[in-house]
Amino acid sequence: MSVDLADFLPAYLTEVEELLSAANAQLLALETAARQRSASPRTVRELFRALHTIKGLSAMVDVEPIVSIAHWMETALRHADQAGGRLPEASVEPMMEGLRAIEQRVRQLATGAHVSEAPRELLERLEALEGTGRGHPGQQGTSAMLQLEPALATKLSASDQEQLLAGIASGRRALRMDYVPSAERAAQGLTINTVRERVGHLAEIVKVVPMAGATPGGGNLTFALLLLTGAEDSVLLEAVGGPPATVQSIVEPSLPETTPISDLLAEPLAPNEEGAVVEPRRSNVLRVEVTRLDDALERLAALVVSRSKLARAVKELTDAGVQTRELVQVLHENARQLRDLRASILHLRMVRVRDVLDRLPLLIRGLRRSTGKLVRLELDVGEAELDKAVADRLLPAIVHLVRNAVDHALESPQERRAAGKPEEGVVRLACHARSSARLELTVSDDGRGVDAAAAAARAGVPVPASSTELLELLCRPGLSTRVSASATSGRGMGMDIVKRITVDQLGGELSLDTKPGQGTTFSLGVPLTITIVDAFVFECAALRYAVAVSAVEIIEVDAASLVRPPSLANGGVALVERRGQAVPLVPLERLLQRESGREGPGPKAFVVRQRGTPVAFAVDKLLGQQEIVLRTLEDPLVQVPGVAGATDLGDGQPTLVLDLPSLGAARSGASRMEYVPQKGGVA
Amino acid sequence: MSTLHVVFKVAGAEYAIPASEVMQMESFTSATPVPGAPTHVAGLMQVRGRVVPVVDARARFGLPPVDRTLDSRVVVGQLGSRTVGLLVDSAREVMKLAPEQLQPPPPMVAEQAQGFVKAVAQVGPRLVMLIDFSRVIGEEKAHGG
Repeated sequence: MSVDLADFLPAYLTEVEELLSAANAQLLALETAARQRSASPRTVRELFRALHTIKGLSAMVDVEPIVSIAHWMETALRHADQAGGRLPEASVEPMMEGLRAIEQRVRQLATGAHVSEAPRELLERLEALEGTGRGHPGQQGTSAMLQLEPALATKLSASDQEQLLAGIASGRRALRMDYVPSAERAAQGLTINTVRERVGHLAEIVKVVPMAGATPGGGNLTFALLLLTGAEDSVLLEAVGGPPATVQSIVEPSLPETTPISDLLAEPLAPNEEGAVVEPRRSNVLRVEVTRLDDALERLAALVVSRSKLARAVKELTDAGVQTRELVQVLHENARQLRDLRASILHLRMVRVRDVLDRLPLLIRGLRRSTGKLVRLELDVGEAELDKAVADRLLPAIVHLVRNAVDHALESPQERRAAGKPEEGVVRLACHARSSARLELTVSDDGRGVDAAAAAARAGVPVPASSTELLELLCRPGLSTRVSASATSGRGMGMDIVKRITVDQLGGELSLDTKPGQGTTFSLGVPLTITIVDAFVFECAALRYAVAVSAVEIIEVDAASLVRPPSLANGGVALVERRGQAVPLVPLERLLQRESGREGPGPKAFVVRQRGTPVAFAVDKLLGQQEIVLRTLEDPLVQVPGVAGATDLGDGQPTLVLDLPSLGAARSGASRMEYVPQKGGVA
Repeated sequence: MSTLHVVFKVAGAEYAIPASEVMQMESFTSATPVPGAPTHVAGLMQVRGRVVPVVDARARFGLPPVDRTLDSRVVVGQLGSRTVGLLVDSAREVMKLAPEQLQPPPPMVAEQAQGFVKAVAQVGPRLVMLIDFSRVIGEEKAHGG
């Protein structure tokens, strides 16, 4: 049942150490900004995010001292953010000490030493930062006060109280649950031992205090269980057989309760709630910037093009009767080598699916705590690999499916028992390569299955007849299968996002198989690799296009300084000055066979090199720069020179990704086409 | 054995295609034009996450263009590994056609229709032309190269 934390420790340490070194740099930058009295909202947010992730990861591995320190630092940063990104200079020193204290505890963890408690004095100072930020004097001592009757309070040691306070600080609720043993209960199998065991699944039991005194049932003994939990009262009560057991908060009501983590997440500053889990995993072998690999791939593509030219030249020689057998042989060999080289470069970008998913057990662990459900994760992913770019995009979809499975699909232990199932539910993740180009990944649970009728009723449509229709229904934006959004999935993304990622972004497939009472399986088929291009998005003749940043240079076109040489052709080419050189300027819409309805060329132009000479293509408007997923066009009907492929910019419409040098060459009036399909030699 | 066919209209005439070749039907909003593609290619559409070319049936059949309406449909056909859409005026019917209902097209029609019409079916008073989907979407390359 319990996740062996030792398995996650190495990953945790790597991650937190990286975050800490980033946090150090960010805090130093904030110090400089504070001295210069300037605002740096971005750095404040980055630092917040780093600490928030540290806090989340530390909570998962149960290092409460780090959780508390990170929590108060985070709070101070929240106020700095509200102050427009200004961290007071006086706050820098306590924050530095906070980072040191976290580092120290991370080192203790790494060496297997006992992790020392968070220094009270430091926590108080960090807390005071929060107080001044809020504009009222900082309270001394803890932010939350425990409300306990004296008989109980005297039974608690200082460390018990501290544990409760730290728990509250990390966003959990501190509760007192009273359990009254009786003969009747014992007959149902409920004794203080089984209660301990059951509640232990749902909450952290800080202390169990037996208390003498008359009870509602006529007995004279009550057990007071002091708990830290994210589970709901009703779930806890159910676990101990309901009344006469009671649950009540032990946090002093007159003081504001510590803001729960979930509320922090709802605020604008908050990073993605999946942040801690989704943050791409770093390899522990050798880290290479993906752009460098892309660079290598790009150079390879150039090599492929020149090989095609060489092949053409050799063919011309052969046609002319020259003896070329040896040359042809070398060319064949060369083609094979290029293919192998491309494969190995692509291989460099592959990450193991297992490594990508290694945070899921922690996610499950967190969900187990927050939902009070018993759940086990089974991973069956073998040695399958995925392109890093695909993995990074796919992970949020998987996290969502797993979260949904625990949150919505799995029943409570009581319900499962009643249905004759084991109390512990199973979420299973499996994957295998379906072909050399695709990977199939399944997320399944043994829960209650999707209630098609309820989903249809919510959407106000007829009950879907097939699982395909049901999936389409579930993927409607905004459809939630639950009346009230639960704490864990409520703010998460819907199935529509899972579909967007899998189908629209990655060009994969998504399917569903669900059986009432038995469980649900989602299958995702995704390509092993995709091509990510950093691109300019622009408008020309009322349509949007994209072009690879690496291929072009942008210039402004000043209509007044254009030179029009005499030309026979109507609307001949104008000349524009660029770095002291006259460059021909072609309205791009002419090459795109579209009408701009505008006099003269557009105000911006992309300069590309075409057979060694620069040429400028005028466009209407530059819309921005972004990473796009390039999808090559497979169908011969639309394999045209100058169009590298299409991409989805988020509107569900394909946007053409242009290859400007080829487009220019193909349409520059020359009858010969210089187009060499990129796939030619090495596909 | 009669088989299910999707029936669609282009310029008033009725055409049919085996339902087994149809992946799905989409209403038509717009297609992204592809410069340099054959003139009968209306452009690109996204269908179930795939980017597919759409062939304009009117342009393909040499008919004058019309404004697209709410009735306009894209019949998405699957042909081997290719997925191609066919933009038609409307498509709102499926019917069963038995082999004995199908007649080879009269020679003049066959010639005029450039082989797009495989057979002609008499359905009550209606004449429905069975199209050769692979011919219609064309094997032609986008560029002569």
